[in-house]
Amino acid sequence: MGGGGSLAREPKVKRGSFATVRKKKKRVGFVLDMTPLVDIAFLLLTFFMLSTTLTTPQTMEMSVPPETENVDVKQSELMTVLVRDDGQIFKFIGDKKTDPPTKISLKELRAVAVTENMRIENKLIMSLRISPKVSYDLVIKILDELNIAESELTQRLSAKGMKRERKFALTPMTPEDVEDLKPL
Amino acid sequence: MSKLKKKRPGFYLDMTPLVDIAFLLLTFFMFTAKFKSDTENEQKFQIKRPIASADTSKLPDKDLATIKIGIDSVTNDTAYYYSLSNEADRKTVYSSDKLQIPDEMRQKVILKVDIKTLESLLKQTRMANIRMRFAIDADKRISYKWIEDLMEAMRKANATIFNFVTDKQT
Repeated sequence: MGGGGSLAREPKVKRGSFATVRKKKKRVGFVLDMTPLVDIAFLLLTFFMLSTTLTTPQTMEMSVPPETENVDVKQSELMTVLVRDDGQIFKFIGDKKTDPPTKISLKELRAVAVTENMRIENKLIMSLRISPKVSYDLVIKILDELNIAESELTQRLSAKGMKRERKFALTPMTPEDVEDLKPL
Repeated sequence: MSKLKKKRPGFYLDMTPLVDIAFLLLTFFMFTAKFKSDTENEQKFQIKRPIASADTSKLPDKDLATIKIGIDSVTNDTAYYYSLSNEADRKTVYSSDKLQIPDEMRQKVILKVDIKTLESLLKQTRMANIRMRFAIDADKRISYKWIEDLMEAMRKANATIFNFVTDKQT
């Protein structure tokens, strides 16, 4: 690096002699060696750059109904989404016997949520039953899709002058559900 | 040394702008720096958060109770970990005699608990501070069973609104 090299600054001979003379008179060869200062400054800079985390984690809000609450639901307004052990998603509307569960993919889920909600205009109640063996990652992906559908619905309904009310519940899977999904 | 000098006589680099910029950046990073909290210092696991795109809200940094579900990097065990952001609340909740935990655990910042203890912890937290918000920070590799049990415990403790912590899609 040649630490002290810059201290012994030699007068510039090649330049116009007038300029050199004037500069020299004001501060005679004054040069501050900034190398150690820069060293320390960059050391600290790198330290703080590496130690900061710029991305803060985000959140997804959820709620569970209180223990005492019991809501009566019309069968025709209830859509159930089931997630099997292996991560396959099924949905049915109303009763399982009249409308057998159909397989849908994760990508279709958003469109299904939107169209089914629009069909009976804001009255749809969604029940999500997830098998305990499904990975948490998939659960969040499903909730994320539904959240995206939610914002789309809010937009579409407000265009019609309606206010979106979300009715949504996470419920445990029954052994009956497991049996029903096995052959599908 | 002398050889170098001969090659470029009177070489001088003006470092002033460089220093200006360096210090500007330094001050910026110094002020924005956020250091690891006590909680993160004590934990022995790393959480791989699930990724979500629709979220907009950020995690608050006070009045927050965090339930972590992490996989220990050494033993590969999954467990619940409980921590509180407010120090005052932490003291009242952890020292409550309704909790059945060994005394040496009460001094810790983050508690490794089972679902039973977690439920009473949640109840105590609700009593200590009604504004407390709950966040579930779980590893994406765990099974849904852990979340289901946790939600049941939260329902019993009347903590019906909570947040899932996720990472933003990049």
